Amino acid sequence: MAEAVISGATGKGLWYKVRSFLGIHLINIFAGALFTLLAIFLLYPIFSILIMSLRGDEGFTLEFYKEFFSYNFYYWSLFNTLILGTVTMVILVVVGFCFAYLTTRGPFWIRKPLKIVALLPLAAPPYIFAISLITLLGRNGFINNLLNLNFNIYSWTGVIAAQCLAFLPLSFMMIENVLNSLNPSLEETASDMGASEFRIIRSITIPLSAPGLLKAALLVFVMTIAEFGNPAILGGRTPFLAPDTYLAITGEGDFNMASVLSVILIAPCVLIFILHNYVLKGKGYTTIVGKPTAVEYKEIAPGIKIPFMVVAFTVGLLVLSSFGVILLGSFVKIVGVDNTFVIDHVLNTQSNIAIWNSIKVSLCAGLFGAIVGTLLAYVIMRGKFPGRQFMEMIALSGFALPGTVIGVGYIIAFNRPPFLLTGTIWIIILNCVFRFVAVGVEAGISKLHQISIEIEEASADLGADFLTIFFRIVLPIMFSAFVVGFIYTFMTTMMSLSSVIFLVTPGFDLASVYIYLTAQLGELGLASATTMKVIAIVAVSIGILKVIAKKTGLDVSKKQGA
Amino acid sequence: MEHQKTPMLELRDIHKSFGDVEVLKGISAEIDKGELLTFVGPSGCGKTTLLRIVGGFTPLNSGQVILDGEDIGALPPNMRNTKMVFQSYALFPHMTVAKNIGFGLKLKKWPRNKIDSRVEELLSLVHMEGLGDRTIDRISGGQQQRVALARALALEPKVLLLDEPLSNLDANLRVVMREEIRNIQERIGITTIFVTHDQYEAMSISDRLLVLNDGVIQQIGSPVEIYEQPANEFIAGFVGYVNFLEGKIESIDKEMKIKYVSTAYGNLELNHNQGDDEQKYDEILLVIRPETLSLSADQAGKQANTFHGVIESFMYAGSLVKYTVKVEDREMIVDQYNPKDATKFQRGDKITITVPRTTHALKK
Ligand SMILES: Nc1ncnc2c1ncn2[C@@H]1O[C@H](COP(=O)(O)OP(=O)(O)OP(=O)(O)O)[C@@H](O)[C@H]1O
Ligand SMILES: [Mg+2]
Repeated sequence: MAEAVISGATGKGLWYKVRSFLGIHLINIFAGALFTLLAIFLLYPIFSILIMSLRGDEGFTLEFYKEFFSYNFYYWSLFNTLILGTVTMVILVVVGFCFAYLTTRGPFWIRKPLKIVALLPLAAPPYIFAISLITLLGRNGFINNLLNLNFNIYSWTGVIAAQCLAFLPLSFMMIENVLNSLNPSLEETASDMGASEFRIIRSITIPLSAPGLLKAALLVFVMTIAEFGNPAILGGRTPFLAPDTYLAITGEGDFNMASVLSVILIAPCVLIFILHNYVLKGKGYTTIVGKPTAVEYKEIAPGIKIPFMVVAFTVGLLVLSSFGVILLGSFVKIVGVDNTFVIDHVLNTQSNIAIWNSIKVSLCAGLFGAIVGTLLAYVIMRGKFPGRQFMEMIALSGFALPGTVIGVGYIIAFNRPPFLLTGTIWIIILNCVFRFVAVGVEAGISKLHQISIEIEEASADLGADFLTIFFRIVLPIMFSAFVVGFIYTFMTTMMSLSSVIFLVTPGFDLASVYIYLTAQLGELGLASATTMKVIAIVAVSIGILKVIAKKTGLDVSKKQGA
Repeated sequence: MEHQKTPMLELRDIHKSFGDVEVLKGISAEIDKGELLTFVGPSGCGKTTLLRIVGGFTPLNSGQVILDGEDIGALPPNMRNTKMVFQSYALFPHMTVAKNIGFGLKLKKWPRNKIDSRVEELLSLVHMEGLGDRTIDRISGGQQQRVALARALALEPKVLLLDEPLSNLDANLRVVMREEIRNIQERIGITTIFVTHDQYEAMSISDRLLVLNDGVIQQIGSPVEIYEQPANEFIAGFVGYVNFLEGKIESIDKEMKIKYVSTAYGNLELNHNQGDDEQKYDEILLVIRPETLSLSADQAGKQANTFHGVIESFMYAGSLVKYTVKVEDREMIVDQYNPKDATKFQRGDKITITVPRTTHALKK
């Protein structure tokens, strides 16, 4: 309604007509264009996968699904993936709870350092832990050598350990949020009535935060089963869905089976999305957005404190040493074996070319992602057309779907006209733009929530037409959201592996792909050095995001992805 | 304040529905040049909607908005010479105070130096000299209010529109800003519509009030008219407390300008004014304001315009004492202002209430 009247322009003639036409229709033009983009770059690839999984030589068939469920190999792959997700989920809920309990109720001196350690993995790609674990415990590993062990890290243990460390921040943030929003007076009342601390945790804290814990668990589950890097590098002979999808394509060129695997990978995401949105909705006793209340420090009973601290310190130490190992590995020949200082890893030309390629791709993806995200947010919030919710849902889905799946979707969808993009740098850029656009959209929406529609009305009142309002008022105000979308897309693209690995062409390496390949080949020095450079770039990006968050109240730096 | 006769703004039979709900059911009103008119009424009665129709933010279903002789009903806000101060102030967060105030002037392509001097002028009008370079988040709520006002005034609109401009301020500041807005408005003589749901705010700031309820205008009039001669029961109850009392006109003495009214508790002699459309045997509703009643210690005989009662309770509030008096089967509220030597009654005291001859009567 507001748009209908905030139009018109001063002056007459053709320019006047164009302006008033744009004034009325610009938002719908944007909406149409954005919807087309979302349809092409998110819906179409997913749709292509579905088709591909069902289409044999003679049309519709379920043969590939039958094949999936009859081959031992794939059957195990699914089973293993679910086990991996479940075990990681259970471990991470426990570990996350220990961390979060200490950072919200523990002694003050411990809160900040623990929090930093728990969030540290955000600054690195998830597969950093595969590399550090191999460096420590691989065949030539530092610890294996030192203690003369014959421990095999290319195993379940290795994958689970790496996954747990990589997704610690996700679990921690969600659980900390839940514990923060619990009303402390409930726990205090229980303690007043004489309940022991253990009893309070068991009968008050955990039951009250159960819905939140469940949500955290589900999210961890989805993210870990979708993760590609760690199982691919550490899986050894154990099959897992995400790496198998990659192998189906690169090894066997079997697009049908890759599609079936992708559909199987999506299934849990969809299931959990439904569970999260329809079943768990409103089930929380506490709102995640609730005002965090600082809990007065009260001495935690040693029976609680000590085990919690042991867990938190052990895991924290692993996180720190992983980063340490990467740093060390960048500068010595082979950690633990030949500790002579070398600069070759860091100066390696191929590594630097890969980094440089990644920066270029990420800058482009960041720029387009920010533009698309900001416009999407504006159109979703201020548009008056039906289907806005649907549009928002598609935009956010890129974030929820496993990278592997979107990667497969892109090669299937864009290797033939009308959208022949395979082999170009654009397919990589577009892939990252639409996978990560959700964050820009969310930042934009929350920015638009902060500014009331009255601001736009006020500018109309003062004589501005739609275009003036859009360029002079809306865009400048949304600029911080734009920057957040830009940096976020930039840094996630820097780290992203699962999707782009399908899309790179030989001779055009990205940092993440280069790290993956060198790690596969056992070139740990090169993998470490390249990872370290990625970390440095990401750390700077996070720093900038933090400054923006402080200045503008927009905080999306706590999103996990890549 | 003297008003010129030509109306600056005229609303003619304005209708507005949202979906099936008819929010405004035919609003007609005239606003004189230089006048401050308040739209007042309970929450949800359509004040904001009516104001937004004047400003051009909400399209109307039917009716006309005539600004200074020109029908502006179809124009978008950026082409109307009315300016609005929003409830949230809607200041542009990415601009300084001066940039905000000068925004409209810049769009009008005023030269730089003229904008600067106009902004200076406005800053001093709203008592914010020297704060032009501040950003919006570094000034107080009251100052933001002033900037919003200055920004709206910059283009010298024909009508200034204010939607609950004081609701974001705390109580003390509200009174200060209320007086300030009124001062500025009178000084520059700008025709103004002020929306509020606070009847006291409306009474104290306005030349006239437009009281809205159920989508229709209940009454338009000066604060005195609204209070002393309410047009209906709703208006009477809307501002201040009223003891309503049903009665019947037994006879009218046109010569003496008196009507004789019977009520359940005794007979009254009340003024009958020449123009009053009153007939013998009319059922009427008396609007008896608590502060117009007076109390005296019980007198044996029954005199004209008196009711007998018993003090049921009282509330001492410094400048006034509020008595609840039981008169037969009902309670009446009586406010006695509190001169030092006045008799103070206690619970259970037998008293007489005197009803003034000026008591207003509504036709039923
Ligand atoms: N855009 C809209 N769509 C549907 N209904 C609306 C819309 N705007 C207002 N209404 C309805 O119209 C009625 C009048 O609203 P309006 O905002 O004008 O009331 P108001 O008198 O300003 O109330 P308040 O004192 O609470 O601000 C309300 O019942 C409201 O629900
Ligand atoms: Mg209102």
